[in-house]
Amino acid sequence: MTEHVVRVLLSGVFHASILFLVSAGLQVVFGVQKIFNLACGSFYALGAYVGVWAVQMYAAAGGPPAFFIVPLVLGGLLVGLVGVVVERGLLRFVYDRDETFQLLLTFALVLMLEDAIRLTWGTSPLSTGGMYLVYGQAHILGAAVPVYNLVVIAAGLAIAVGIGALLTRTAFGRIVRAAADQREMTEALGVDMRRLYALVFTLGTVLGTLGGALVIPATAAMSEMGIELIVEAFAVVVIGGLGSMRGALVGALVVGVLRSIAISVYPELEMLLIYLIVIAVLVLRPRGLFGAAATAT
Amino acid sequence: MRSRRDFLKGVGATAVAAATAGPAVVSAQARKGVPSDPVKIGVIAIRAGIAAPVGAAGLRGTEWWAERVNSAGGILGRKVQLVVEEESNPKDTVERYRKLVLQEKVDVVLGGISTGVTLALATVAEDLATPWLSWDGTTQKGVDETMPNPKWAFKSVDNEVEAIVAGMLTPKYFKGIKTVAGIGNDYSYGHDCWQSYQAVLKRYIPDVKFVLELFPKLGVTDFTSHIAAIQQSKADLLMCSFWSGDATIIMKQAAAVGLFKTMKGVFTTAGGVHDSLKKDFTPEGLLLGYNTMYFDDPKGSPLLKQFVREYKAKYNEYPPYECDHAYFNAESYKAAVEKAYASAQEWPSKAQVVKALEGIEVESLSGRRSWREDHVQMCNFYQGITTHKNAYDFVTINPIETVSTRQAMKPAGAKLFDWINSWKL
Repeated sequence: MTEHVVRVLLSGVFHASILFLVSAGLQVVFGVQKIFNLACGSFYALGAYVGVWAVQMYAAAGGPPAFFIVPLVLGGLLVGLVGVVVERGLLRFVYDRDETFQLLLTFALVLMLEDAIRLTWGTSPLSTGGMYLVYGQAHILGAAVPVYNLVVIAAGLAIAVGIGALLTRTAFGRIVRAAADQREMTEALGVDMRRLYALVFTLGTVLGTLGGALVIPATAAMSEMGIELIVEAFAVVVIGGLGSMRGALVGALVVGVLRSIAISVYPELEMLLIYLIVIAVLVLRPRGLFGAAATAT
Repeated sequence: MRSRRDFLKGVGATAVAAATAGPAVVSAQARKGVPSDPVKIGVIAIRAGIAAPVGAAGLRGTEWWAERVNSAGGILGRKVQLVVEEESNPKDTVERYRKLVLQEKVDVVLGGISTGVTLALATVAEDLATPWLSWDGTTQKGVDETMPNPKWAFKSVDNEVEAIVAGMLTPKYFKGIKTVAGIGNDYSYGHDCWQSYQAVLKRYIPDVKFVLELFPKLGVTDFTSHIAAIQQSKADLLMCSFWSGDATIIMKQAAAVGLFKTMKGVFTTAGGVHDSLKKDFTPEGLLLGYNTMYFDDPKGSPLLKQFVREYKAKYNEYPPYECDHAYFNAESYKAAVEKAYASAQEWPSKAQVVKALEGIEVESLSGRRSWREDHVQMCNFYQGITTHKNAYDFVTINPIETVSTRQAMKPAGAKLFDWINSWKL
């Protein structure tokens, strides 16, 4: 029984780690730029494809399998720089427009990126083969758990702590929080908002692409993989509170773990349960669990 | 020295000779009563989404067929020209289908994979009075036939046949199975396969218990929680009807926790992703299906071997079954035109082609295939036990079981579960 509980919890937390990265990207962008970035799921898919590609190149070059995570993470980080291009090339034109424009633009991005992925990598699912199994299994209270899953969970936690520290303990973090709260005042105090927006959006994009790269050894890259995740990321931000990083962490854990429990206990409830919680939060606490301050903390 | 006038005369003579030689050559190939322009064949292929690899395979199979036919002189001397349109949702695909028939004026339409789409296409095909041969789509609602007597529509094998074949083979290869868990995609195909598999297995093992059923949405890429539930079910065997990238994913995630060290596994079809089931994470000893064509069949025909070789050279992949659904569709059309011509002595009308198609049998990539009188494709299904003993980095099967649709598909007009329950074992 303990063994089963461990399996269910850890598979839930694994799912939550990826979900957290994507939702965190969504949150940081919304917190500062007030743009609800539908393309966060597409960045996740893009990171996955670049991750597969990087690992395949690495394997073809004869790199030792145990270090495949290095090209994987590098690929995920570097492709995140596409965020600068998207922000400077597209998003900056719609900051002062109605939200509908922003949603339409980011939705257009979803469609464009999906096609770009298809043109670049084709339509067949891509995978990193058996790299996932390189690190073997760990036995926790009798349950066999893939070590790679633990690596992803640890990475998710480390990133959560890192972002927390970045936002609360650095000058950059103070500026980000200030911009989230009082954009005009921050600008009046001499902060270059163009630069800040580009930086924040790129940070949001990197979180998504890194999430995609990290998950890929355990799964396979498919061009429509982003769509599935956007839906779950919505649930996360509604539960956690729009714009809140702490909300993203708790929301992702709630969605990931409850999904896992539902699959084990009553599989028909898998997604329904998540939506029931979303509805409950919307009715009882519309701003979400951590949405009170409406800042990026 | 030749004058300019002589030179021009010479040029003129050559031009005339060329002009007369042209039609003469064509008429030498084309038969009496056969138009000299190319015969237009419409093709509907999925290009995006989860079934895109399968759609690509169907299109490649059709193109390979067309090149082969054209280099041999065409159909009765008429070159083949493919007009390709995309299969997407039912509404848009129907529009493109109409365009092919009404605007492009094709003689026949090939293709159609998703039954959601082909249910709609079949009615339009009947309306437009043009033969339509479906690669992989049926006119089934669930496991029930909705169009038992079509005039123009020719349909693929019933969706659930691979699950029935797997049900027949399970007791042969896995002894002492008492409990079974199932996982499939949450749409008609996934549920129908699971229902059919259960019905068949119950016939062979009456006291078998089905202890868990999981139906994740199409497109899910993380099954770690599902696998935790499967482990907890402690079933003797897992039946999985995934057929796209998700088959690869669940295999890998199952291997990561050693699921098949204690559980038997049945994967009804490797669909379009059979060569992604790498040895690293796909164990030996699973029952694995290849649907209706097995690329590595040692008993395969020279035609299959040539196709596999050229497909690999061109696309760096090993062809999946959809190639042969598509090849058979096109090849049976050619055979029907030739058969109808033999009696009519002129290019046959669409209705004559349909008549000739009924019951016709042709040599296809995977062997002989035919159209049943009620316009359903008849062929073989290939399943077997996974092995690592091959030259590839992915699993293949040995032994190979070949089961005909004559055994594993409900006969025309039959109700699926009544038919299964009427088997004498």
